[in-house]
Amino acid sequence: MMAAALLLTAMAVSASSGEGFPLAVRDDRGATIRLAAPPRRVVSLAPSLTEIVFLLGRQELLAGVTRYCNFPPPAASLPKVGGVTDPDVERVVALAPDLVLCTTDGNPREKVHALEEMGIPCFAVAPQDLAAVFATIERVGILLGAADRGRAEAAALRRRADRARAAGEGDGRDVPRVLFAVSTSPIIAAGAGTFMDELVRLAGGWNVAAGYSGRYPRLSVEDLVSARPDVVFVAGMAGAERFPEEVKRWKEIPAFRDGSVHTLEGDVVTRPGPRLVGALEQVSAALAAWRAGHAKAVAPGAGGKR
Amino acid sequence: MTRRAAGKGSGAVFPVLVAALLGAVALSTSTGPVAIPFRKMAEALLHGGDDTPSRVLLSLRLPRALLGALVGGALASSGVAFQALLRNPLADPYILGVSGGAAVGALTVALFLSAEASPALPLFAFLGAAMSALSVFLLARRKSGVSPERLILMGVVVGAFLNAVIMLMVTLSPPGKIPGALYWLMGDLGLGTPRRVAVLFPYVASGFAVLFLLSRGLDLLLLGDQAAFQTGLSVERVKTATYLTASLLAGSVVAVSGLIGFVGLIVPHGARVLVGSGHRRLLPAAFLLGGAFLVLSDTIARTASPAGELPVGAVTALAGAPFFLYLLRRNGGRS
Repeated sequence: MMAAALLLTAMAVSASSGEGFPLAVRDDRGATIRLAAPPRRVVSLAPSLTEIVFLLGRQELLAGVTRYCNFPPPAASLPKVGGVTDPDVERVVALAPDLVLCTTDGNPREKVHALEEMGIPCFAVAPQDLAAVFATIERVGILLGAADRGRAEAAALRRRADRARAAGEGDGRDVPRVLFAVSTSPIIAAGAGTFMDELVRLAGGWNVAAGYSGRYPRLSVEDLVSARPDVVFVAGMAGAERFPEEVKRWKEIPAFRDGSVHTLEGDVVTRPGPRLVGALEQVSAALAAWRAGHAKAVAPGAGGKR
Repeated sequence: MTRRAAGKGSGAVFPVLVAALLGAVALSTSTGPVAIPFRKMAEALLHGGDDTPSRVLLSLRLPRALLGALVGGALASSGVAFQALLRNPLADPYILGVSGGAAVGALTVALFLSAEASPALPLFAFLGAAMSALSVFLLARRKSGVSPERLILMGVVVGAFLNAVIMLMVTLSPPGKIPGALYWLMGDLGLGTPRRVAVLFPYVASGFAVLFLLSRGLDLLLLGDQAAFQTGLSVERVKTATYLTASLLAGSVVAVSGLIGFVGLIVPHGARVLVGSGHRRLLPAAFLLGGAFLVLSDTIARTASPAGELPVGAVTALAGAPFFLYLLRRNGGRS
């Protein structure tokens, strides 16, 4: 283990010169991936990983992607190997990749295993928070012979995330109550353990759905009346982002009363990819705007009821 | 068996069932995340009010409970009718294509009109249910009339066909378009607005009334076509009326609440244990028991889990199966 870690560090250092191969890198399953030379044909089995490959400027390596890989737009015209949960092993093999990028939450383990049986190295990642996403960008950079670019892009994203956090921080008293909905009918919220929950927390908000036990709790209208969210974000999927009239008319829900409802692109907030930082900036800006309005509203009184 | 069962049980069953339904509605309206003191509830129920607790009570909880009572009652009585019509204890309101038709209707709206909760969705679900129920009936009918066997066979074939259509629609649709419609199909009383209750009420009331008027015919159908015919009953007319009414009842319910399983299948058997198989008593008993059962299940679905609301269809089967197993076994499988 220790030796592998040292090896990884050593490889990372030498790879920064664009060389560094052969290299051995441990993935998030704990498996060691060995590459004798920089890969020339890569298949990505997740939209987030496709986005990362493009971010690293290595898109010319992509021989195949999933049918959900729609960003950046040129990704959509690459050869498709099936979906995230149902990749077609034979199609992947037919593309003769020398590296497959995959995830442990999404891609079925048996399919990845089948690819490995065919002698194709599979690098599996499972970032659970923003910090891990940045680290994933660096690691994929090393694998693709773009270690410098990976480090630079990750550093830039970290700086933007830090700035967004600083902008979103209130004085500790003005913590808006936030609902992040992934579906409006029925109302399904993003709970603890989701990227959306992290975005809300980093931006200085309090996720009203964080107290439920599941990651995506389904809420009733009465739950919302009781939770009184100040700001509502909707992860928009294919146009289903408006709440039904019988939900919106509840003036007891501050976000609906004040029109504080924002739509974010669903793909962006659910994929562990580089665009999460842009989403954090949007969430942060929306909460800052709420704080500004709230400060004005409570200024005449003595601190308001909060 | 019919005569013995019909004489069974005193009149005391009905007051108990009415009390159970009222109790379930009362329990449902008094539980929820917004705390409402008992006095406040009484006040709101008697005089109305525009404050938050009153509004939660009058425009969220009460309509939802009433919708649950109507839907549960309608599913159970529709199930009774289908079981008699098909002379099959495994029949339920969805057996003859109603569910598949409703699903295709709902998915059509989601795919081609709007992925949002559209007012067109209940209408299309109803049309889909009515169309598939009608085609099963027309396919099964022959000069000599309709036989239960042919109805079931056609229902299964049409159902399998619609299932294939559903699978294709789900697979070939762009991601994100479908989940709303799928959740809707899983069954949900959550959008029980006063308006929906008002829209559903006439369908359920008239559907139930027609079935109740057909009770004697349903009793005789259980004896078999030949026997029923010999009593001078116009068998084919009773069958046609029963089929259309029970399908319409199921279709209108599916349109406002999606597909809620178990109630229409098992509650009729539970009711038969309580009042026997004479339909004049069985239909009202099944309606009351189905209503109470669904309202209770929905209360559990709303409040039991720390992970938010559960699909009510999961609760009906999960909580209902053991209860009805007990009821059926205790009775020695007499029904």
